[in-house]
Amino acid sequence: MRATDCPPTLTDTQVLDFCKAGFLMLPGVVDAETNARVVAWCARNPRHEPSDLLGEEWFVEGVLLQAEAAGAVRSLLGQNFRLPLIVSNHRLELPCSAQSWHRDGGSIYGPEVNYLQVFYYPEACPPEKAPTELLPGSHFLFSHAPWMGHYNAVRGAVLSEAPAGSIFLTAYNIWHRRSASAPEATGVRNQLKYNYWRTATPQRDWLTEPGFDLETADYSSPWTPTFREQFRECFDAAEMFCWLCGRQDEYRRLGGQGWPMPAASYEWYDIRERPGYPFGPAGREST
Amino acid sequence: MSSVTDRLRAQLEDALSLHRRGELAEAHLQDALQLLDQLKAPTQDLLYVQAASTSPFARLNGINMICDGRQIEMPRDPDEWPYQTVMDALRDGWRIISFPNPALLLDDEVSVGLGCEFILER
Repeated sequence: MRATDCPPTLTDTQVLDFCKAGFLMLPGVVDAETNARVVAWCARNPRHEPSDLLGEEWFVEGVLLQAEAAGAVRSLLGQNFRLPLIVSNHRLELPCSAQSWHRDGGSIYGPEVNYLQVFYYPEACPPEKAPTELLPGSHFLFSHAPWMGHYNAVRGAVLSEAPAGSIFLTAYNIWHRRSASAPEATGVRNQLKYNYWRTATPQRDWLTEPGFDLETADYSSPWTPTFREQFRECFDAAEMFCWLCGRQDEYRRLGGQGWPMPAASYEWYDIRERPGYPFGPAGREST
Repeated sequence: MSSVTDRLRAQLEDALSLHRRGELAEAHLQDALQLLDQLKAPTQDLLYVQAASTSPFARLNGINMICDGRQIEMPRDPDEWPYQTVMDALRDGWRIISFPNPALLLDDEVSVGLGCEFILER
């Protein structure tokens, strides 16, 4: 497996947003010439697992190492991340029905981010062409895939509809499925899927924001419903963010109204006195 | 009231008599076929819903309806789902066959599935 490095592109806020949602959309980042070349290559190689595409340097440079995509991967996986070793093509003959909700085999439940599952649309994928449906925040919801077969319509689910050349990064165990295409849809839809891998110990070496403070950051999720007890999503996002910062061993939560519960209603109060903040005075100085 | 089986027998006996007289028409056999369709046992309809709490008045966060052996396509907009609460479904004739199971919640650290699941049938 080939390891590589590049400058990180995500800020503290964007990394925390990934922790909350479990995915990050990068619309239209791959250039049109590369997209066309990928579509033509897939037409000549219409296999489910065309991993020899990884041997094409133009694909590695134009897609896997595309600056925004690789920069986001670098931000979440650290330096010297490893490039994919398997490529799947979710190549569909349209029209098609919806898949069952699932998380992919090999999923491990927890805050660690040791690999990323990445999807790439070389052609535009509007709702009519059965884009992948994602359930934001579901990377924190435990269920074995065979126990999801009776789920169908879910409040808060989003379609990964996107223009040509779009890439989206996901926490590997996020719940997802192919959505139903429009009944009148025709033709073929390509969607490539592959994993990047961490080699470095996690640390906060993405683009740090001067005003960003672990103690006062907003860990609450904009994605509703969260399918959890109130504020549990704050615990989950904070734990993943602390793991990415390399501070998992120090991570604690007191519970009640303590950190990392949202603090907006405490603006009148000295936020520096938040009960339960685990990193203490020394932690405050280093954040 | 005679059963469907009794009515089907009578219909076929009439058809046999007509046949012996050379008067049997297609319509007589069509009537018999329609009665035969009524003999089929209806397929159980199923409704899986995931609610925001164990209350039957809580908002639904997920829904899957299987009617006559087929999964019904649901609108993407939850406001357009046929039911917004378990109580809505009960008022429409569905009956609960499974309540949310607290046995799944014994570990306080693990969030399981989509929440409080009711299963209904009719």
